[in-house]
Amino acid sequence: MKALIGKITLWRAVSTIILAVGAYAAYLRFFEGWVVSTNLTDAQPWGLWVGFGTLCGVGLSAGGFCIAAAVYLLGMERYRPLLRTSILLSFLGYCSVCVGMLYELGLPWRIWHPIIYWNKHSVLFDVSLCVMCYTTVLALEFSPSLVEKAIPWKGLRRWYLKWQHRILIGLVMAGVLLSSMHQSYLGGLFLIAKGKVHPLWYSPYLTTLFYLSAIPAGMALLVMVLYLCVRSLQAKIEYSLLQDLSRIMMILLGVYAVFRALDLVRNGATHYAFMMNKEAGYFWLEIVLFLAAPLALLSWRKVRDTPLYLYWTCATVVMGFMANRLNVSITALDAMSGAQYVPKWPEIALTMAVLTAGVIAFRLAVLYLDIVPRYEEPKEFRWLASDGAVAEA
Amino acid sequence: MAKKKAILVDVKRCIGCQACEQACEQAHGFPVEHPAGLSDKALTFVDQKGAKSVRRMCLHCEEPACVSACLVGALHKTPEGPVAYDASKCMGCRYCMIACPQSVPKYQWTKLAPYMKKCDMCYDRVKEGKPTVCAEACPVGATTFGDRDELIKEAWNRIRTEGDYVPRIYGTEEFGGTSVLYISDVPFEQLGFVMPPTGNEPLPMLSAAALGESPTVVLVGGSMLSALYWITRRRKAVAEAEKFGKFEGKGK
Repeated sequence: MKALIGKITLWRAVSTIILAVGAYAAYLRFFEGWVVSTNLTDAQPWGLWVGFGTLCGVGLSAGGFCIAAAVYLLGMERYRPLLRTSILLSFLGYCSVCVGMLYELGLPWRIWHPIIYWNKHSVLFDVSLCVMCYTTVLALEFSPSLVEKAIPWKGLRRWYLKWQHRILIGLVMAGVLLSSMHQSYLGGLFLIAKGKVHPLWYSPYLTTLFYLSAIPAGMALLVMVLYLCVRSLQAKIEYSLLQDLSRIMMILLGVYAVFRALDLVRNGATHYAFMMNKEAGYFWLEIVLFLAAPLALLSWRKVRDTPLYLYWTCATVVMGFMANRLNVSITALDAMSGAQYVPKWPEIALTMAVLTAGVIAFRLAVLYLDIVPRYEEPKEFRWLASDGAVAEA
Repeated sequence: MAKKKAILVDVKRCIGCQACEQACEQAHGFPVEHPAGLSDKALTFVDQKGAKSVRRMCLHCEEPACVSACLVGALHKTPEGPVAYDASKCMGCRYCMIACPQSVPKYQWTKLAPYMKKCDMCYDRVKEGKPTVCAEACPVGATTFGDRDELIKEAWNRIRTEGDYVPRIYGTEEFGGTSVLYISDVPFEQLGFVMPPTGNEPLPMLSAAALGESPTVVLVGGSMLSALYWITRRRKAVAEAEKFGKFEGKGK
């Protein structure tokens, strides 16, 4: 029994509390209703659950398809050690989005309706179909890690792994195409709401903007996760991989920054950024966190070379990305409708609980499956240098 | 095909008696007392704009944003004109509420199994050839129901014969045309009417532009990825062969 519960540590206690509060919030959502559990109104029908749970959840899970494409399609073999971590991260990200649907839909028991009722003219239909397919693709891509440990019959195991390997390239290609589509279409959702979206965030190129921002954000989260794997799960990871990832991320952020700036000028919306109001404030928060600060920090060699600094720079990127998605889905609509939406605590609690469950699942997977090479015993916090020698952190 | 029906609302004639509201409440069994504005318990509402009373309701667009947005096709434009809602398909995503330029669809936030609510232009009655309950209830002919073509003629007729109307029918062109038409003696901008952000282009065109790219993405993207994969595989094969010296004897 004692082994089952394990040691009571600070993080275990915190996780338990978050899960318990989340469970109570779920009770409120399902048995007490929307008015008790949310601040959603007719003027703001989408809130934190869509803006954070769905938009950020999908966007930050973009790392999986990038690394898979790099290794399998472009032959960048050196990223292979990161493959399983990135697939697992994306898979759990999409799982959290699917679980999120269960409480953000008004009639969650009809979540399967898009499978049989099709509306080809709906951007949301395309998003939901792509997300369903891509979650399946991720499950199949991730499955070997589970199958090789969980299926006791050698024949069956070999048979499955052989077939999985045969279709793998197809899966990776499908993953890239599906991701490219639904990452952009998430932005496309707001195209039809022209006139209801604040000009700082409305653009006919919302699709492109969403796609271009999701990839560096997915990479930033991957770098953070890899750092934490080394920090607390005794993972053996070459630090230069993270440096390379952050270099690519920096280029992508630069591309996005130029695109965003030109787009604002093209839409004639630049003057809104210099008004003394809430929207301009949130706009600059997004720009500083997602673009200005990371681009400045990453161009500094010391930041790229110091794991802890790189970690916090990536954290800034992730926060900036969240600011962007919340701005598009909440600030921009709120500005026009005057809804003054602020999430109610059960909205935040449920979101936190799903995230925490994801972190726990990730940790268990890394501990019990072969996700990333690890040191057998807990040792000092260390990085693997490029030549394979162990460097002191 | 059935002739396209419509509602003509004459803001000049409206006396603000709220008979339309009451008829609608009665027909749907909604409470008489409710907060101002449209809601899940008020599908039409008489808005006081200065001295004028303006009926708010679903405009039943000819090319509705909500219909194109609904992922499961729970909303559809009927041949008779009303934009009808099939509650049995709805999954409660509330994208119609985001998409509607007038923010007409409302949600049953107080229910555990909530549905969207909006005016359906008494579709069951219209199918039987009856007018909507609000048009029947209006004592001064400010809300009239009929064939869309006829109502447009009638509206122009009123504008021509009585001099004080704004020479415009709101709803003939706006958002690609609507099945609820308004005429008024005060400019529409002053009465809180939503002016289309896209000129008169129907809003679904905006998402169609993005979705139109999917086949291209799949085809071009798919072939590019296959090409990349082929190159990668070829490179690996060549590298392997070179490593084992298989290419050395080629020239001999």
